[in-house]
Amino acid sequence: MSLNKSALAFAGILLATTVLGTGAALAQAKVAIVTPYMAQPGTQFYVEAFEAVAAENDWEVNVIDTAGDVAAVISRIEDLVVQNVDAIVINVDPTQVTAGLQSAKDAGIPVFGMDAGADPLLVTNVTSNGYAMAAETSTYVADRIKGEGNVVMFVFDAFPPVQVRGVVADAVFGNFPDIKVLDRVTPDVSDGGIADSRAKMEAILAANPEPGSIKAVWAAWDQPALGALQAIEDAGRSGEGIVITGIDANPQAREAIAAGGNFEASVAQDFAGIGATTAEAVARVLAGEEILQSVTYVPTKLVTAANAAE
Amino acid sequence: MQLFVRRYGTLIGFVAILVFFSAVLPGTFPTARNWLNITQQVSMLMVVAAGMTIVMVMGDFDLSVGSAASLAGIVAALMMAAGQPIWAAVAVALLVGLLGGAFNGAMVSLVGILPFIATLATMTMFSGLAFVVSGGKTISGRAIPEDFGNFARGGIPLGEWGGVAISLPNLSIIAIVVVLAVWVLLEQTTYGRRLYAIGGNMEAAHLSGIAVKRLRLIAFSLTGLAAAAGGLMYASRVASANPVQGSGLMLNAIAAVFLGTTMSRHGEPRILATVVGVIVLGVLDNGLTQMSVDSYVRQVLVGALILLAVAASSVTQGRR
Repeated sequence: MSLNKSALAFAGILLATTVLGTGAALAQAKVAIVTPYMAQPGTQFYVEAFEAVAAENDWEVNVIDTAGDVAAVISRIEDLVVQNVDAIVINVDPTQVTAGLQSAKDAGIPVFGMDAGADPLLVTNVTSNGYAMAAETSTYVADRIKGEGNVVMFVFDAFPPVQVRGVVADAVFGNFPDIKVLDRVTPDVSDGGIADSRAKMEAILAANPEPGSIKAVWAAWDQPALGALQAIEDAGRSGEGIVITGIDANPQAREAIAAGGNFEASVAQDFAGIGATTAEAVARVLAGEEILQSVTYVPTKLVTAANAAE
Repeated sequence: MQLFVRRYGTLIGFVAILVFFSAVLPGTFPTARNWLNITQQVSMLMVVAAGMTIVMVMGDFDLSVGSAASLAGIVAALMMAAGQPIWAAVAVALLVGLLGGAFNGAMVSLVGILPFIATLATMTMFSGLAFVVSGGKTISGRAIPEDFGNFARGGIPLGEWGGVAISLPNLSIIAIVVVLAVWVLLEQTTYGRRLYAIGGNMEAAHLSGIAVKRLRLIAFSLTGLAAAAGGLMYASRVASANPVQGSGLMLNAIAAVFLGTTMSRHGEPRILATVVGVIVLGVLDNGLTQMSVDSYVRQVLVGALILLAVAASSVTQGRR
């Protein structure tokens, strides 16, 4: 044990990174995707579809997940600017990473939003129309309960794309004088959102034991809807006709909707379409084109028992 | 020789990392602009880790720093959104951190709860409070005065380097000032030496007349204050505040202090060693991003590095 052991260990790590780092060299354009939200199911679909288009264009794509840390997104954008990549794609509220966007702009590197939010420092933001999606499900709820009864809302105002959904649902329910919003719940999403939503719903069910005292659960995305469904089924109250809707139509939600229980509707965002459309926008700008719309909308679709299996 | 390995292994590893990145990324890594970026990127962690060093000198922990940082950011953002001046918002947020830290200190030293458990509980409390006062919302956009966000983007111009204008970022300056203050406190004052005495043997320190309870209370308060400062820097950098944004700081701060302890004689935390620990973490993120190493692989490497550094020093320590 004469040689410095930890120095040896460091050398080993460094050697490993050389091998990993040089894996994807010699491609034409360098494009990076930076997101703090990779763990969200939708994000993986965008990224995969983006990578598919990128592969056709022979780009070198660097996907960076900062695991929830927004300041780290700024740091990584700064690193990419120093590295002089050709384009950067972000999947985070742009107003929170202005410092990074500004340094990219100063260096003349175009930045694209992939379901991020509109911002003057972005070339364009590619997204679903959140207002329209929430209008689809909240009017579905209002129509199904014939414009009267108590509704439980699950919202998440900390994430702007989900926050706008809540705003529209508030407006729609507020427009029916006989609909009462019983509770506006923000679940803890650190475990994915289902478990805590279930616990919150169990408490609400316990507080409202009368059949018919809860007519519907409107959730701003699918996980709370699934949690609420579990709570309602476990409480033995699935026969009361409580209508549940989600948004995003993830596989678990589609399965629940297809099964024909309380979970009746959701809206499918075309995540793959968003990823592919973002990549196409990058391709257009790299080809020298100018993009005029600050937001590029990709169409969505209401999912019910009729089309859930598709 | 073994003492040499123990004390300088991490430092040699650090230099090896710098040499490696400079060799692989000669055009971008060893530039002034990149290094100024790094100092800015690690500034928040630096401040929180400096505060963490104070309690870890006594062998204690503070798991609540991340939540305290989030809470401070939220408090300041809410005050600014309500039209209060920036200085008042910052002052109140720092006070919240100080009081939160004092509460931790009271639980640990006066009530006598283990720091791990006491701060685990306050971690949840502070986080819950941040959610309660903010209603779970991210406070951003026009609610935050432009000057507050601009502060993190500003700095002292240092002239040109290779045709690019560079400046010493304001956040880096704050980090340097905090590190200097903690250095003076721990290395140059009786208070600091007493904290090390408590860390060496609390019973002996108590018997030799050191007011252990009071000193621990003050130490935890300072850690809370630093956490709040880190949270405010974070809020300024992202020009927004949400109730969870500081949560990543806690584990990284502890990791940085641990990395640092592998460089000191008896494995005790030293502020300058913590600085090296923080920079190691920041440099790895910066260099590996530039090398396009997958971000998950990066996490594994950073974790492995901490294990290796600490293992190398504790194995040799065990043999001695």
